[in-house]
Amino acid sequence: MSIDITGVRKTYGDFVALDDINLTIPKGQLTALLGPSGGGKSTLLRVIAGLETADTGTVTIEGTDATKLPPQKRNVGFVFQHYAVFKHMTVAKNVAFGMEIRKKPKAEIVARVDELLRLVHLSQFSHRLPSQLSGGQRQRMALARALAVEPTVLLLDEPFGALDAKVRKELRDWLRRLHDEVHVTTVFVTHDQEEAMEVADEIVVINEGRVEQVGTPDQLYDEPANDFVMGFLGETTRLNGALVRPHDIHISLSPQLAGASEGVVSRVLRVGFEVRITVLTDDGEEVGVILTRTHARQLGVEEGVRVWVTPVSGATTVPTMAANAG
Amino acid sequence: MVKVSAPVRWTLRLLAISYVFFLVAWPVGMLFRRTFEGGLENLADALGDEDVVSALVLTAQVAGIAVLINLVFGLTISILLVRYEFPGKRLLSAMIDVPLSVSPVVVGLALVLVYNGRDGWFGKGLEEGGFQVIFATPGLIMATCFVALPLVIREVVPTLTEIGDEQEQAARSLGANAPQTFWRITLPSIKWALVYGVVLSLARSIGEFGAVKVVSNNVSGKTQTATLMVEEKYQNFAQGSAYAIAFLLVMVCIACLVVVAVLRPNDEH
Amino acid sequence: MTGALSGATIDVARPAPESGGRPGRVRRQKPRNTLTPGAGLGLGIAMLWFSLLVLVPLSAIVATAAAGGWENYVNVLQDPQTWNALKLTVSQAALVTVINVFMGTVIAWVLVRDKFPGKAVMNVIIDIPFALPTVVAGLVLLALYGPNSPIGVHWAFTSKSVALALAFVTLPFVVRAVQPVLEELEADVEEAAASLGANRWTIFRRILLPSLFPAIAAGAALSFARAISEYGSLVLLSGNRPNETEVASVRMLSFIENGSYASAAAIASVMLAVALFVIVVLDIVQRRVSRRG
Repeated sequence: MSIDITGVRKTYGDFVALDDINLTIPKGQLTALLGPSGGGKSTLLRVIAGLETADTGTVTIEGTDATKLPPQKRNVGFVFQHYAVFKHMTVAKNVAFGMEIRKKPKAEIVARVDELLRLVHLSQFSHRLPSQLSGGQRQRMALARALAVEPTVLLLDEPFGALDAKVRKELRDWLRRLHDEVHVTTVFVTHDQEEAMEVADEIVVINEGRVEQVGTPDQLYDEPANDFVMGFLGETTRLNGALVRPHDIHISLSPQLAGASEGVVSRVLRVGFEVRITVLTDDGEEVGVILTRTHARQLGVEEGVRVWVTPVSGATTVPTMAANAG
Repeated sequence: MVKVSAPVRWTLRLLAISYVFFLVAWPVGMLFRRTFEGGLENLADALGDEDVVSALVLTAQVAGIAVLINLVFGLTISILLVRYEFPGKRLLSAMIDVPLSVSPVVVGLALVLVYNGRDGWFGKGLEEGGFQVIFATPGLIMATCFVALPLVIREVVPTLTEIGDEQEQAARSLGANAPQTFWRITLPSIKWALVYGVVLSLARSIGEFGAVKVVSNNVSGKTQTATLMVEEKYQNFAQGSAYAIAFLLVMVCIACLVVVAVLRPNDEH
Repeated sequence: MTGALSGATIDVARPAPESGGRPGRVRRQKPRNTLTPGAGLGLGIAMLWFSLLVLVPLSAIVATAAAGGWENYVNVLQDPQTWNALKLTVSQAALVTVINVFMGTVIAWVLVRDKFPGKAVMNVIIDIPFALPTVVAGLVLLALYGPNSPIGVHWAFTSKSVALALAFVTLPFVVRAVQPVLEELEADVEEAAASLGANRWTIFRRILLPSLFPAIAAGAALSFARAISEYGSLVLLSGNRPNETEVASVRMLSFIENGSYASAAAIASVMLAVALFVIVVLDIVQRRVSRRG
């Protein structure tokens, strides 16, 4: 096991950022800490890196108790959301920094910088200053810099958060491929569930300072532990007091399945290839249903039509307490 | 932007230019004229005067040491104010500005009250121990330090705040310890602000008059600085020399201004 | 030299900009202590020096002044020569501050919004009073307005000379406080006002002036504080004639030279109180600025 976190708690004044976190992050994998902003995931990452100290609890990295170690002794690579490039150094100098600190031989540094810059496709920029690079290039440089010290674990704090959508997507694929090449234990923080699902081997959902669920993307999507995880990982709608994915709802113009709720189509909206339908059930629930365009056309759903809706068999549903809360 | 009418614009322009011209430009220009009225004679006379030379040397020494002290002190306080939390921080940051609002004469008086050898709080003991502050070089240095105290801090604090601590954290995560982080990351990032603060302090230190006058007994060759010499020369009707020394001081200060003006654009990236 | 002496009190940073997901709701915290042992040592040494240099000496003034009790103050302030010096100092400082508020704003406006050859030179000249040794400032003013004035203006040794010297040394304060604010002021706000039918005077009064007010106030406060404490530029220029051109600093110095530290300390403490008052006002104004964004 690569990183073991036990009983970690962290408060800022009255605010509880982390509340008794117990977590094991497996070796060699790409793990995402996923959750809403202010939920504590970045704080947890910074506690692992030693940039913040936990009030209580321990952090063990590769079997070494790192709880009391300062960041420079933990041998972690940290990549910051806003790159944290050394503005006064060239790209090559930035990447070499950690190795120079470790007093590696000159020739070795040069060779390794070369290799890393090739890995992140920045070879031709090695003598430029960071201010001459684009955001995506700066972040790749920061990644090379973190990898240069051959860290035990690589920690990325919302690494693509400051980039525009297209670059974000490219870097995401690239990170996945890079990880398949170098296999360093990697933890990255994101609030974007799509990013986490696409890139990570394992996802840790964190909310309000607590771990909500740990699992593979499929596990989380198919077997969410609670309504928060279900809601955070994809669209949901409420039917018979349970959360269901809108595309997991069977809709028909006649009562075909037992237990189906009866209602009237109140709105039909076409978005590209999908059709979003809102059904107002006789019980007073507003149910969202997503169909493909073809399917909707076959059914002939229109506003004002009476329909029957029920979760398809095998659909992921989570009961909500919200039924009594309204 | 909304244009003002031509007459208004011309009036304002004329007003601003003539005010600055009559208040600053012409008087300063007169200094040059008066200095070179008899060719290089005034300058040569002044520089031939042993007392003048020793006053200039004393000013250079006092200003140099004061700037060095303020550099170290200013850098320490700036880093503490920006990167750390501690009780009393707000109060400290307000107190740092006090020297800018205190009359130089008050500065001198304050130092005399504590450090004079006759009945000063600390001065008596120090003098008995053979260390004279007032009417000696240490007093001149302290007075100069006092008046220029906030200048480095006022330059460095905003820069340090602006660059944030992410680069330092990145350095720490890459294995650098505190001194390595300071020398390799923090210092290069605030280099220009620091140089700027030092140049400002230097100009201020060279030019200090009131505070220095109070703690100096104006003994030429010992505690008479260049600015004190200007006053003495003028009052002794050696106006040519007074203008010549003033001219030299102005040259140094203008050189400081030029250095700053040249450095400033480099700051941007 | 824009940022140096001009405006803002030091803005003590909050702990650096928060990265992405860090708690956004961290509210007012109790003062925490994040000093490492090394930083604590640094703070200790710095505070020791600061105390020896600034805090203890300034307390000595207060202590010396207070040791004489009320009597000391009454005696000193009832002395007509001292009273006249204080009156002259405050009234001339106030006059010069008013001049600065007007002229400083005009100059700042001209520097930002106008275009003419030599503007860059003017921008540098504004800084000269900051850089010039004060005694030299007095000397250069004497050259133009003194006994051998080439333009026949003999203001030296009159009360006009006090205002002149104060105006010289305080020239940059309002200019350098207003200039950056004016530069940042977006033209489209004025254009929006114009598109809504406001005329130039209304735009100036309702849009420009309110935005500039905090900066003008800050510059004025600094300018006033500097003016009441000025010494060096007046020594040669004003002639230091009792009851006519003698300012508080000069009066204080003659007390010091006579060894009447208690009397000097009494005047000094009054002036310190004024300076402190100005710092507080400045701080309040600055906070108002930052709250407005």
